[in-house]
Amino acid sequence: MRVNPNFSADILQDLYQSQNQEQTTMQQMATGHLINMPSDNPAGAAALVQGKARQGQNDQFLQNTTAVEGLLQTADSTLSSVVTALNRAVTLGVQGGNDTLSDTDRQAIAQQVQGIQDQILQLANVSYQGNFVFAGTETKTPPFVADPAAPDGVTYNGNDNTNTVQIAEGRSINVNMPGDQIFQQAGGDVFGAMQHLITALQTSDTNGIGTATTELGAALNALGEQRVFYGNAINQLTSNQAFLQQEKVNLQSQENSIDAVDMAKAATDLSQAQITQNATLAALAKVLPVTLMNYLK
Amino acid sequence: MGTLNAALWIAAHALDVDQGALNVTSNNIANASTPGYSREVVNLTEQTPIQSGNLTFGTGVDLKNVQSVRDQILTILIAQQSTQQSGAQTQLNAMQQVQGLFSDPTSGIGASLTAFFNSINQLSTNPTDTAQRQAVITAAQNLVGSFNQTAQTLSQVQSSLNQSVANSVDQINSLTKQIAKLNAKVGQMQQLGEDPGSFLDQENQLINQLSQLTNITEIKTEHGLTLTTGDGTALVVGNQSFDLSVGNGANGMQDVFAQGQDITSTIHGGSLGGTIQVRDTNIPAILSQLNTLAGDFATSFNAAQAMGFDLNGNQGQPLFTFSAGTEAASISLATTDPDAIAASSDGAPGSNGNIVNLLAVQSQPLASGQTPTDTYANIVSTAGNMASQAQADLTASTASLNQLNDRLGSISGVSINEETANLLVYQNAFTAAARVFTTIDQLTQTLLTMGSGA
Repeated sequence: MRVNPNFSADILQDLYQSQNQEQTTMQQMATGHLINMPSDNPAGAAALVQGKARQGQNDQFLQNTTAVEGLLQTADSTLSSVVTALNRAVTLGVQGGNDTLSDTDRQAIAQQVQGIQDQILQLANVSYQGNFVFAGTETKTPPFVADPAAPDGVTYNGNDNTNTVQIAEGRSINVNMPGDQIFQQAGGDVFGAMQHLITALQTSDTNGIGTATTELGAALNALGEQRVFYGNAINQLTSNQAFLQQEKVNLQSQENSIDAVDMAKAATDLSQAQITQNATLAALAKVLPVTLMNYLK
Repeated sequence: MGTLNAALWIAAHALDVDQGALNVTSNNIANASTPGYSREVVNLTEQTPIQSGNLTFGTGVDLKNVQSVRDQILTILIAQQSTQQSGAQTQLNAMQQVQGLFSDPTSGIGASLTAFFNSINQLSTNPTDTAQRQAVITAAQNLVGSFNQTAQTLSQVQSSLNQSVANSVDQINSLTKQIAKLNAKVGQMQQLGEDPGSFLDQENQLINQLSQLTNITEIKTEHGLTLTTGDGTALVVGNQSFDLSVGNGANGMQDVFAQGQDITSTIHGGSLGGTIQVRDTNIPAILSQLNTLAGDFATSFNAAQAMGFDLNGNQGQPLFTFSAGTEAASISLATTDPDAIAASSDGAPGSNGNIVNLLAVQSQPLASGQTPTDTYANIVSTAGNMASQAQADLTASTASLNQLNDRLGSISGVSINEETANLLVYQNAFTAAARVFTTIDQLTQTLLTMGSGA
């Protein structure tokens, strides 16, 4: 049988192939990626796009969590200060109800309570990153303004709307509570109770002082109940953060299972390709020059 | 009765024949690595014997003819496979450029989409913040930039493919002219009963080059070779060639015409077929998916904008604008005012109630049935599949072509070993014939001195 005498084309083709294999493996090792072009694995490349999108979104949820945490903590610690101030007002109310006090003493106490009232008004107008925290969604307008004409001496300029922020796939949390629900709820109006206490102190109305102090105590309780909202939200964020961190690891390992290079395998493949190539070259060098001519001397 | 003279002539003619055979061997060795060369063999026959009485005497050797060894079927198969291979190679080259646009999952349209929605998500934590609103606008600018750039690069690849069409057609015309000329020569030689060996080799080489450009059909008739395009339009008939031409097609691209007929859609394979495939099928398919994505995305997002209120309490206005038909290339921002993002659901600046609608564009199916990211992932896999298909075609056709070339080589290839053996055979024959010649010469001398009586 006659064989093709010009076999160098075949051998060159084999050489291209082992060279190609070598290059592919080297590229994989250099980049750390199995998929360097969509054609390396079209379905995998599509999955990578989706995976990257989920990772990006997950990272954003983590950032949202951090951003919202600041807002919630500001609100919570502000309310904590309000509680402290109200407790002092209650103490002053109890003190002012004491029969042994003179009118002048009560006037002095009334001034102290007025100071606390001003402080609470300031606290209720707290802002975070330029936004009023207790204004509903009217965050650019100070929500509480002293107004002698109002029944409780303060007008609420905010609204009753709330904002939600997405903190995970399919999970959102409320990030604010409208200020009137905290400070001016029916049966627990902080400003109203304070106003009543101040008026009773100024007029030395001991019965009025007692009633107002009780009213203030009720308002304090009501506010404490609302404050729980913020505490819960902060707890939710903390557990959500742990969830997102775990999710980040999961997504990364999903990506790795599609795209990460197994270095040990790649190194083996590379040396295999090199061995093949060297062997082919060596064989070529031995075979090519040999013809019958070499033996005719 | 045989005579010394007759023997002398036999030896003399044998010397001629051996020289002729050595000539062929030498030519074979000289062309051992000439592409397309088919080895030639000498056919030796006995001369017609003469009868003298009841004796028959041979009259020596004759060189009947020199014939090149070829296999027409294999040659045709090789031409067809070359068409496949060169078409796949052209497609692969172009698709490598195309898929490069979609190769990095950390940049491009996919990453820009994610970054855009992330910026909106971030805005939900502080909807009045100008810096965060500006970040949304910037992300939107990056996104439309990604769409525009990808669409433009695709169009550039398409138009550079378009330019190469005229080039290929010129090459085809030049090849068919040369083939027609060779056809005429081959025809003349065949009429004279001569072996047109080297002309056929040249012709096969040219046909091979032509096959690498486009798909052709080869028909051998008594009038010589006929070559036609895939749809049967004549390119070469005997000693006549017919030019192809280019002209503007319906899609604004350069189409190929044969005798006034637009044959573009019938061209498959070869670098011309590969070019047309990527130009008219692959790239338009990807562009159309991109246009659908850009258009649907912009429409959905604008609709979500309209459900809410901007920072100033006005109803949300469209953020994106585009022209129908060239959505990906033309998508741009309708406004760059950061206040225009309709985050609010109640008209108050601090509300983020409409962001849930804006973000729904990311997670809800678009009009085309999939989320933006999934739609984009599909485009990536489409481009990848096209490139890997071309790669697979190339690998398969290369392997097949190698095998066919091997088979043709085993028939037509020059083997140095074989030629060296032939060289020895004819050298020995020549030496022997020369020896016979000198022996007879001596005998003649003996004969001539016989009567001189020493």
